[in-house]
Amino acid sequence: MLRGADIVLRCLRAEGVDLVFGYPGGAIMPLYDALEGSGVRHILTRHEQGAVFAAEGYARATGKVGVAMATSGPGATNLVTGIADAKMDSVPLVCITGQVRSSLIGTDAFQETDVFGLTLSLTKWSRLVRSIEEIPEVIAQAFHWARSGRPGPVMIDLPVDLLKATMEFKGPVKFHPHPKAADAKAEVFTDTLIALLQQAKKPVALVGAGAKLSGAVSELRSLLDCLQIPTFATVHGLGAVKQEAPYYLGMVGMHGTRAANMALHETDLLLVFGARLDDRVTGDPTRFAPDARIVHFEIDPSQLDRVRPCELAVIGDLAETIPAFHEELSRAPLPKWDAWRAIAGGQDRAELDAAGLAQPTKRFLDELFRRLPADSVIVADVGQHQMWAAQRYRSSTPRGFITSGGLGAMGFALPAAVGVQLAKPETTVLCVSGDGGFQMNIQELATVHRLGLAIKIVIVDNKYLGMVRQWQQLFYKRNYAETDLSDNPDFVEIGKAYKIHAQPLAEEALTEFPLSAETADVLDRFLKSSEPELLVFECAPEANVFPMVPAGAALSEMMLEED
Amino acid sequence: MRILTAASRRGIELPYVQAEPAEQSHQVTLLLEVNAKQVGQLSRDWYAIVDVTDVRSAMPTQDMLELIDGWAATPHPPTSAVSSGDSARAAMA
Repeated sequence: MLRGADIVLRCLRAEGVDLVFGYPGGAIMPLYDALEGSGVRHILTRHEQGAVFAAEGYARATGKVGVAMATSGPGATNLVTGIADAKMDSVPLVCITGQVRSSLIGTDAFQETDVFGLTLSLTKWSRLVRSIEEIPEVIAQAFHWARSGRPGPVMIDLPVDLLKATMEFKGPVKFHPHPKAADAKAEVFTDTLIALLQQAKKPVALVGAGAKLSGAVSELRSLLDCLQIPTFATVHGLGAVKQEAPYYLGMVGMHGTRAANMALHETDLLLVFGARLDDRVTGDPTRFAPDARIVHFEIDPSQLDRVRPCELAVIGDLAETIPAFHEELSRAPLPKWDAWRAIAGGQDRAELDAAGLAQPTKRFLDELFRRLPADSVIVADVGQHQMWAAQRYRSSTPRGFITSGGLGAMGFALPAAVGVQLAKPETTVLCVSGDGGFQMNIQELATVHRLGLAIKIVIVDNKYLGMVRQWQQLFYKRNYAETDLSDNPDFVEIGKAYKIHAQPLAEEALTEFPLSAETADVLDRFLKSSEPELLVFECAPEANVFPMVPAGAALSEMMLEED
Repeated sequence: MRILTAASRRGIELPYVQAEPAEQSHQVTLLLEVNAKQVGQLSRDWYAIVDVTDVRSAMPTQDMLELIDGWAATPHPPTSAVSSGDSARAAMA
C-alpha cells in the first residue's frame, strides 16, 4: 500500500521528472513528507512565483516539462502569473497544488481557493483530483497534454486527504487520447505553395518559436538556405536562424530592425513558421503586410487567421511539414530573388547605430555578449533592457535567448535563470534584468546563494520603470507618472546581504574608445567567475529603445530615433 | 468550462447552453450571437481544447429560439432556503 503522495512522486519519476520547484505549505505537506528518497529533487524558491518561473526556465532551456508545486490558497494563486506566462509562450509546465481536504472544498475553508476555476482560461488542461485511484491516470494525462502539440501549462489540484490516503499501487499508466474528428496526416499542399512562390516578387520568411518547440531548427535552416529569401525572427524565434546567413535581417516587430520591418511591410508573400502574429509583431493589423499573401505553417489551428485570413494554412508539426515542403521544393524551378534580397538587406536599411556607439547600454551588452561562450543562455526580464538585449543578441543557439515575451511578466528573469542554470550546470547563464523587474523577485537571490549557482546577473539600472517612462515621454507629454525609482536600494549592498559578490559599473566606462583595460577586466572576471555574480550597470535615466513602432502604427512607420 | 471561457473572454453572452451525454463523451450546444469572424475564432479555440473532439456551427433552430423567449419571461429571483440537518452535516464531514 502506498500513500497518494508517494504515488504522485512515482508517477512523476515515470514521466522522467527528477527536478521540481516549489514552496511548501499546509495542504501539500504530505507530498513534501514523501520527497526524501523519491528520486525527485526539490528546489526551494523563496516565493511560489519564483518556483513557477524557475520551472519555466528549466522547460524553456531543455524542452522538457517543468514542474512547479505549491500549497493551496495563496500558494496556488501565486502560481497564476507563471501559468499565464507559460500559456502565452507555449512552455510545457505541470503545476501541482495542494488543496484543502475533499470534504471542505467549497466551504471557504482556510487557504482554500478555486484554483481549478481560476486557471481554466490559462491552462491547456486541468483536473481537481477526486479520488486516489485517479492519480496515476491524471498525472499521465497532464504530462501528455503539457508536451503534446503546442506545449503549454496544465494544472493538478490535489486535496490533502488524497495525498494521505493509501491504496495498492499497480504502477504508472500510459494515457491514450481520443482522436479528434479532423485529425489527419499533415498536408502541405505543395503545389499551391510552389505556385505562390513562383508568382512572388518579394517573398519573406518570418520565424517564431514553433521551429524550436518542434525541434525543427536544422530542417528550417536547410529550407531557408534553399529559399534564400529575406528572413526575420520574432523575439522567441531568435537563435533559430543562423546569424551569419546573408538573408537574415534580425528581429521583427515593435523594436525590430528597420530592414526586417520594411521587408515585412513590402512583401507580397509571407511564409510564417510557427509564430502567432501577435500585435507586437504586426503593428496596426489593418495595415500589416498589406500586399502579402500569407502561408502559415502552424501546429495550433487556433492561431490561424487572427490578423487576417491566410492564403494557405499548413497545419501540423513543423518537424514534419517543413521537410515535406523542402523535399518537393527541390523538384520545382523557383525564381531568383537576389535583387529583392539586396534591397531588403541593403545599406540604406541598415541599423543606424550598429556598433552601439551612441548608446552605452547597447555597447555594454555587446561587450558582454561577445565574451560569452557560443552555447550560453541569456535570460532577459521585461522592459527596455529586454529589447536592447534582443536587438543585440547575435547567437545562433536555438534556446539561447529566454524571456517572457507574450505575457511580459516583470520579475521573470532571475528565477527563470535559476531553472536554466540547474538544467544546464556547465553553461554560462547571463540574467539581464532592469531595476524594476529585479525587485519583483529579488528574494530569489537567496535561492541562487543557497544552491551556489554561478549565474551572472546584470541589472540595467536607470532608476525608472524605463519602458513605461519611454512611452510617457513619447506619447504622454513626459508625464512620468509613478515611474520614478530614484530611491532604489543600493543593489550592490543588497547583493552582499545575500552573500553574492556584487559591483557597480558606471555608464561612463562604456563611453571610452577603446574600452579601458580596467573595464574589460571587470567584464572578463564577471563572466568567468565560478560563483554567482551581480553587476549593476548604471544606465542613463532617459535612454530609449529604438527603432520603435508606436502602438497603432504600421511597421513602416517606425521611429528610428528621437525627433 | 473551457468552452464557456472561450466565449466569455470575448464578452459574448450565452443565453442558451445545454450539455448532454453523447455515446462515450458529451455534446454541448450553445446559442451565441456572433459574426462570421467570431465563428471562426471560436471554432478554432474550441477545437484547440484538448478534450474537444469535434466542433460544428449552424443557425439556431426555431425550437431553441422559442425556448429562449420563454426563459426571458420567467424571472428566477434568489430565494431563501433552509437545508435539512442531514445535508448540513454532509457538507461539514
